[in-house]
Amino acid sequence: MERPIAYDKLAREDRLIRMRARDVAQLKIEQGLPPFPDLLSRDSIKERVHGIMVGELQAMEGAGRTVYDFPDAPWEFTMDMARQVWDESRHVEIYVRLLEHLDGYIGEFPETTILWRCACAEDAAARVAGVNRGLEGLACDVFNQLVHIARKMGDPILERAVDYVLADEITHVRMGSKWLTRLTEGDPERRRLAIEFQETIDERFNLGGIRREGPHDAVPISIATEARREGGFTDEEIARLIKTTQRSAVY
Amino acid sequence: MTHPLAGHLEVDESAKTARHYRYAVERMTRILGGWMALTPELSAKLLMGRHVWDNAQHADAWGKRLPELRAAAQVSEPANARLVAFLDAVEDAERPEQTVERVVAIYRVLKPHLLAIYKAHLATANAVYEPPTCRILARCIEDERRHVAAGETVLRHLLRTPELEVRARACEARLWQLLEAAGGVTGTGAVSRVSAAAAPPAALSDDAAEFIRLEQSTGTWPIAPALAEALAAFGDALIAGDVAAARCWLAPEVELGPDLEARLRGAQGSRHSIVACARVGEQRLVKLRLDGAQGGVTLLLRWVPTGSDWRLAVLEAVSAPAAPPA
Repeated sequence: MERPIAYDKLAREDRLIRMRARDVAQLKIEQGLPPFPDLLSRDSIKERVHGIMVGELQAMEGAGRTVYDFPDAPWEFTMDMARQVWDESRHVEIYVRLLEHLDGYIGEFPETTILWRCACAEDAAARVAGVNRGLEGLACDVFNQLVHIARKMGDPILERAVDYVLADEITHVRMGSKWLTRLTEGDPERRRLAIEFQETIDERFNLGGIRREGPHDAVPISIATEARREGGFTDEEIARLIKTTQRSAVY
Repeated sequence: MTHPLAGHLEVDESAKTARHYRYAVERMTRILGGWMALTPELSAKLLMGRHVWDNAQHADAWGKRLPELRAAAQVSEPANARLVAFLDAVEDAERPEQTVERVVAIYRVLKPHLLAIYKAHLATANAVYEPPTCRILARCIEDERRHVAAGETVLRHLLRTPELEVRARACEARLWQLLEAAGGVTGTGAVSRVSAAAAPPAALSDDAAEFIRLEQSTGTWPIAPALAEALAAFGDALIAGDVAAARCWLAPEVELGPDLEARLRGAQGSRHSIVACARVGEQRLVKLRLDGAQGGVTLLLRWVPTGSDWRLAVLEAVSAPAAPPA
């Protein structure tokens, strides 16, 4: 099997339509819509849930590729990634069912592969930094906010299911924090490059200022500082993330 | 009567067997992990996703058992070069359209074989001094039995045509032959396996029927009547080879282009069907598959509402599968 695979080799059923994230955003802007779905209506929540569902699919595939791509990494690393595959596969099922709960269907919105592209780093340390800390950190932000919005909406199905997923994601962030340190022990250059890769992902997913610090119902994506702390982010890292959201380029 | 302290494996042999198990299971774990991204069908993708972790735990358990048998921890060792060749052959099925081969390799060949040798090992392991091994075997047997049943359910769903059945049987025979040549995972000679029928399903977060339901959950699309009419008319025009009629649906700035026209000619004469419909605001992205005598082509169409009507703003060929993947 090819190792690693090119980002455009992701296999999909016909019912999913793949588009570049920037093209989807552009089409929406042209129609006077926000580029990223807000959480103000059931329909926009459904679109966000669809985006999360395909993100979970890519996260499962990405963790699986990490199990395959790095046979020489420590066995405990493989174990953590295999566990993550299992978690993400359950998350896919959870979000497909939530999509049904919201009267949606798989393929109702385009699939963007921006997450998957980030999961294709060739170095294991960069991959866990980018995926487990960058992307799973973003997942913590998004899910934490969704739990609060669901609670406010009075939707216990959405609230409970997403809260369990959030607990898993915090665990994945913790794995990322652990393996970023262990895999780069005694190799500061490798660590620097891995963190740099994570920061490019953080920057990209600030989405031109859409992610920022603030109340759950006032900002499009609110930074989950507490969940991030539980995942091993230091206060300094969280402060730096918040600072970068204030200077992000337009998406 | 056999003495209660009689055994069939020396300590060193027991460690070697554990390393052989670990080799097969570790490779299977990695292969399944790598395959998910290459497998289109959601049912098979989720099946693999559910089992990667179980497999990793099996490999881990065998690896942890090793130091208890005076051997180095977490070491994998193939029984022989022919077993390596067998697993290389398993791993070869990496093209998207080879899902059947992937599922057959793991769920009709390797796992049923592992289930059989684990059961045989458990039946002969000494109950007085080998309980640590027996416990691992019992856990692996329970999981493999469930995996084989789930895999068979998904496979039955995937085998939609006689051609796919033929492919599945050919793959199974070829891999089984390689596994027999290796003397099985432990390289010890007689190679057996447990059939799916003897592996009753037990739901534990890998309900294959649910994976299949999720795969089939998008059957029809809520398409506005005017767009449905436009799609039908556009598809009919393409099938009839009436390019002028098809062009009526294009927005003024959109061209078919000579390459696309040539591909569409190859798809004339049969039928068209919608295989995807996504929303971007008020616009709709539709995949329209045209199946013709000379092959098929899938078009990605972006439809834009224009008052009470719809027009095509983008039209491109995204693939031309000979048959739906499986």
